[in-house]
Amino acid sequence: MIEFFEANKDILLFTLAAGLKVLVFMGGIMGFAALLTLAERKVSALMQDRVGPNRASVFGFAFNGLFHPIADAIKMIMKEDFVPGRAEKLLFTLAPFFALVPVLALFAVIPFGDYVMVFGYQLDLQIADLPLGLFLVLALSGMAIYGVFLAGWASKNNFALLGAMRGAAQMVSYEVVLGLTLVGLLMIYGSANLQDMVRAQGRLLFGAVPAWGVVLQPFAFILFLIAAIAENKRTPFDLVEGESEIIGYFMEYSSMRFAAFMFAEFVEIILVSMLAATLFFGGWQVPYLYETGFIFPGGSALPLDHYLVSALQVGSFSVKTVFFSWFLLVVRWTLPRFRFDQLMGLCWKALLPLALLNILLTGAALVALGKL
Amino acid sequence: MILDAAVYLSAGVAALATLLMIFQKNPVKAAMLMLTALLATAGMYLAFSAQLLAVLQVIIYGGAIMTLFIVALSVTPQAWKDKPVPGRAVRVLGLAAAAVLLTELLQVSTVLRAASAAPGFSETGTLAIAMNLFGRFAFQFELLSLVILASIVGAVALASRRTAP
Repeated sequence: MIEFFEANKDILLFTLAAGLKVLVFMGGIMGFAALLTLAERKVSALMQDRVGPNRASVFGFAFNGLFHPIADAIKMIMKEDFVPGRAEKLLFTLAPFFALVPVLALFAVIPFGDYVMVFGYQLDLQIADLPLGLFLVLALSGMAIYGVFLAGWASKNNFALLGAMRGAAQMVSYEVVLGLTLVGLLMIYGSANLQDMVRAQGRLLFGAVPAWGVVLQPFAFILFLIAAIAENKRTPFDLVEGESEIIGYFMEYSSMRFAAFMFAEFVEIILVSMLAATLFFGGWQVPYLYETGFIFPGGSALPLDHYLVSALQVGSFSVKTVFFSWFLLVVRWTLPRFRFDQLMGLCWKALLPLALLNILLTGAALVALGKL
Repeated sequence: MILDAAVYLSAGVAALATLLMIFQKNPVKAAMLMLTALLATAGMYLAFSAQLLAVLQVIIYGGAIMTLFIVALSVTPQAWKDKPVPGRAVRVLGLAAAAVLLTELLQVSTVLRAASAAPGFSETGTLAIAMNLFGRFAFQFELLSLVILASIVGAVALASRRTAP
């Protein structure tokens, strides 16, 4: 028995570390997504000068609505799980999984920190260190379309199918833009590994400005943000569902099946925020913070403990994620919805040429600077 | 050992999904089975440690082509009811085409089996593919884009017909 452990020590340790990281990171994301469902309503209440949900309480303590996500979960589980008689049962059941699983799988490639030394072992703060992480992001986000489409088609309901068609057209179109905006990043970082990309953003430009993606590719960042919100199917691009007047693809869904679609939307908010932070805002990088501590441009230094540095880096990533999540919530309650022709026109006639132009300019700049 | 099992498992899933697809009458379900087959093939590439190939398979076939396929299929009236049984001539033609394809496949497979025994097969780096695409085969690669140009012209022609008097 002991020999077996000795012989397979590396694999066992790797599995244990990966399992731990999945538990902690995914647990954190699930908790944050649940809080976002409350934050969404609180932000809307704030914008509309209301109080928002504040009634769910435990032993009389409401904490201004903190228990609402739990109450919602209980409500969703207790509701009737209805399947229309004409629906395609198997695909109808599979659709929520198609919507949620690819999005959750994507978190595996996102680095949430550099590394920590635990009992002499180097623990990378990333679940899967894949050389083609960025491509995996594109591949799996493409899979999310099937969740929308299957939900609409399998319901055998004309309105649901219409929503699904709108959704598929929108997501396919904006995915092209999303992919093209990321080409510029690939060109400047020279790697598709997200951890490498974050490390590359730790450099300094002119000895003072952090070489974050947003500094090097400001144009791509704006395009990425627009395309990502469209991929996320949130206002102003919510023609896929449009709760109040357009009927959406999941209209035949109820109970936890519906909750899976709704939860997927909030998990996607976190994913978009984390991707924006990782690709354009230095990921876990803190300006002027290196492995040994702060080294400021003037030359003054502040040495810090390894664990403090790691905590600061994970904290920095969390703060960036929370900021972008808040930003996406605010966008939803600020902008009105596009018309469908405006949506398609924006994508194919404005964003796509601009994304191509960005690639061209990036290439020209790289050649001019002699970096190619 | 685990990798071998993964190869056989995903290959089995791909073969099974393809068979089911052939006997599936509903076009959208058939397309979903085809998607399963394509994804299983991607899994097989992954087990062969050809990461780039696997990811491209998912992006291009799974993400782009199958999506368009399924969307186009679902708006055709055929997707809402069972297909009418094709006539005898069509069936014979279909079987003949399948037989031709099968013989071709068998011929190619003997060549491929010999090639896979050669060393260096599993190494398909991003850089190596890029070197071939944009270096050795740059002309052929650019020539292929003419196909896309043709399809763009076709799409524009189709789209503008509605507004023409």
